[in-house]
Amino acid sequence: MEDFSDVYRECYPRVLAYAASHAGARLAEDITSETFTIAWRKLDQMPSNALPWLLGIARNLVKASRRQVWHDEIDDVPITDDFVRVVELRAALAGLSEGDQEVLTLIAWHGLPAAEAAQVLGCTTATFFVRLHRARRRLKAALSTSNFDRARESWKTS
Amino acid sequence: MEDLMKELAQAAPPAPEVDRDRMERDLVRIIALPRERTARTQFLRRFAPLVAVAAVIALAVVVLPRPTPTVQPGAPAQWWHVLTEQSSLMVVGDPANPYLVQFSSKTDQWLSANRQVTVVQKDGRVEPYSSVDEARWEMAGKPATAPQVGGSRAVRIGPMRPSVQKADVSGFQMSMHSHVRLDSFDSLPTDPAELKKTLENLTGEKTPYRIATLAMGLMASNVRDDQRRAAFELLKMLDGVRFLDRVSLREGSFGVGVAIAAPATFQFSNVETQLVVNPETGLPVVKRDLITTPQHGLPAMWPISEEEYLLLDRTTIDPIVPGDVPVNGEVESPIVER
Repeated sequence: MEDFSDVYRECYPRVLAYAASHAGARLAEDITSETFTIAWRKLDQMPSNALPWLLGIARNLVKASRRQVWHDEIDDVPITDDFVRVVELRAALAGLSEGDQEVLTLIAWHGLPAAEAAQVLGCTTATFFVRLHRARRRLKAALSTSNFDRARESWKTS
Repeated sequence: MEDLMKELAQAAPPAPEVDRDRMERDLVRIIALPRERTARTQFLRRFAPLVAVAAVIALAVVVLPRPTPTVQPGAPAQWWHVLTEQSSLMVVGDPANPYLVQFSSKTDQWLSANRQVTVVQKDGRVEPYSSVDEARWEMAGKPATAPQVGGSRAVRIGPMRPSVQKADVSGFQMSMHSHVRLDSFDSLPTDPAELKKTLENLTGEKTPYRIATLAMGLMASNVRDDQRRAAFELLKMLDGVRFLDRVSLREGSFGVGVAIAAPATFQFSNVETQLVVNPETGLPVVKRDLITTPQHGLPAMWPISEEEYLLLDRTTIDPIVPGDVPVNGEVESPIVER
């Protein structure tokens, strides 16, 4: 039980961050709580490096919640010189498939090494690298479309 | 490309602030909940039937005479053997201080075109669910029977008595949850839409939930792989069904499944039924009902009843039933009059 409590306290912020980024702040705490409830129930299956496993559980719960709202919540972005670029990146990301978003954000936002991100998604590391490469390419393509250029101009002038 | 990932990292939403009070409160609640059985117990309980069957096969090979020449290799199997392990929860006791009990048992069933043999309440028990429930039961004086909360009957706590039911039948039961019988499963369509129409016509059932339960039952029946696949595709296309693309299972494996809103029980509302299948074999692994909102001290998405498929197999070995159990006697249910 002490081990579980240690893992809980250590991983809670990261599971919460994952849930918040994929399901929105409103649902994040509930999803995190559910994630650890399931983890407790399946404690015998918990690997020594628990984070990817916990994020895999959280991922299923996020999908069940069916509320991918993070991309609508841009009021968390501070108004700085980078504001436009951040909004642009998030908008481009939101335009990608859910699969591409997951691959990119597990690395860029949640700081997982590729092998652990692959565990979360239930694929091999090699497959993950292929998916990451394609997702990056699509993100780059999305950023370079004229729509975003126009949008950037409109944001600058508004 | 690397620069793009760095830029994306800078565009991450800020990490949400952790509410330490809630975090610690949740931890206390979570570790008060019951856990699944240990892996060792799981392993023994899960594979004991397989070991028993393997032992019987070995014995049969050594002891029994060779099959007569009329039995051809590849001849149709005589029996469809289904071994399931069920568990379900019920709220009992004083409504002001209720507790949960868990019913758990196995059902061993052999089905053929003209014979059906079933062992029910095998290894059956009713016991307080968690340590908290056990403490409440003890505080109530460890009663041998406890009244259902919201019901008119009582529950007998302790072991269940197994019972053997043997019956001559005509044709194959379409599923364990339907009395419709078919001369053969061969004619069932392999197109999901056609299969849906067939189920509707055979049973008169039209609602998505009833069709879903029939299709789920069919998947556990002695049908061909293409028919089982059609049943799963049928489930996915029903109104209100949610596809579950990665469900954690015991031993760290994953299944795929479907979920559909289920009718309320007399104690639980906001229930959904899930069927999880092994993506490699297409065979059902578990069917369960979960509550989608917290109820009776249980969190949302907690299973309130489960039926785990331990064995689904064609066999020519005749049914093996407990010797000390009366056949076709009255089933001594743990649900009794108050």
